Amino acid sequence: MSRSALSASALGAELAALRGAGAAVRSAAIDPFVPFRPRRKRSKPAREVGFNITPMIDMTFLLLTFYILASSFEQSEGVLASRMPRSGAVASVALPISPVVVRVQQVGVGPNDFSVAIEGAPQRPASFEELTGLLRQIQQKPGFDSETPVVIQADQRVRWDHIVNVWNSAVRARFRNIAFSEE
Amino acid sequence: MPRTITQKRRQERVGFIMTPMIDMVFLLITFFTLVCNFEAAEKIHLDLPKPDVSEAKRLEEKNRVVINCEMADPGRPTSTGALYRIGPNLPESLDVISARLAAAKAANPQLKVVIRADRRLPFSAVREVMRVVADNRIEIMNLAALMRPER
Repeated sequence: MSRSALSASALGAELAALRGAGAAVRSAAIDPFVPFRPRRKRSKPAREVGFNITPMIDMTFLLLTFYILASSFEQSEGVLASRMPRSGAVASVALPISPVVVRVQQVGVGPNDFSVAIEGAPQRPASFEELTGLLRQIQQKPGFDSETPVVIQADQRVRWDHIVNVWNSAVRARFRNIAFSEE
Repeated sequence: MPRTITQKRRQERVGFIMTPMIDMVFLLITFFTLVCNFEAAEKIHLDLPKPDVSEAKRLEEKNRVVINCEMADPGRPTSTGALYRIGPNLPESLDVISARLAAAKAANPQLKVVIRADRRLPFSAVREVMRVVADNRIEIMNLAALMRPER
């Protein structure tokens, strides 16, 4: 098909369209109650712009689950420090100055049947609080200071809890050299 | 043509408001992050001594060996038997523990020992470990106890 023939057919189509439009305008002009509505330009469908929070929530829940499973609300633990004699085995080193000796003895069968006494002290402490007080008083006496050794002589049957309490009392009384010795 | 009620309902968006949930989740994560402190795996669960007003301090985790002493029969609190283990290892005899301590001391002369013993054990059971520590000429021995609750 030639180029002139193509343009002729396109022209014909345009003319037909114009005729149709003219008829519509005429009908509008005849009926005054039909409002004129301009053709709206078809807009592109609106894209939703958003923030994809699904991976963030996944990670957040993962972290939360981890922390809930991993955490435990227990009282935290620490250590009471002590230094062993530099040479040889336990209690084989002669003490340079007279130490404060604290005796812990089992006096019954029950786990809490024990007694604590400080060698040379007139009174027996009834509690660990009192023991701390007595040790502090001893430290104030002439010839004693925080470097004075405190030796804990404990009965083998006494519960470890009580021994640590005695040790803790000596630390609270600000004694620095605390040691165990054989009874 | 007017739309029916069903058509209108179909077009209504049914959603789930996640904002309060995310707020709560972040709040919980912040709480757990602040509250959590992670314990070393070498600390097995033990009923540690609880001093009245504890002077126990936190110990840094380097150059240390933890020896755990647990009750051989926790069902019988009066039993005096103990099991000894280095960290989370299986229970071993004190001779094996002594050999391990000697090797560790040879590798690191600054070695510290932490004795973690069940509070219900008799002193004799813990004393055996102390003897092993002293025999290996390890100078610093720490006794594990619960710390004072933080206020």
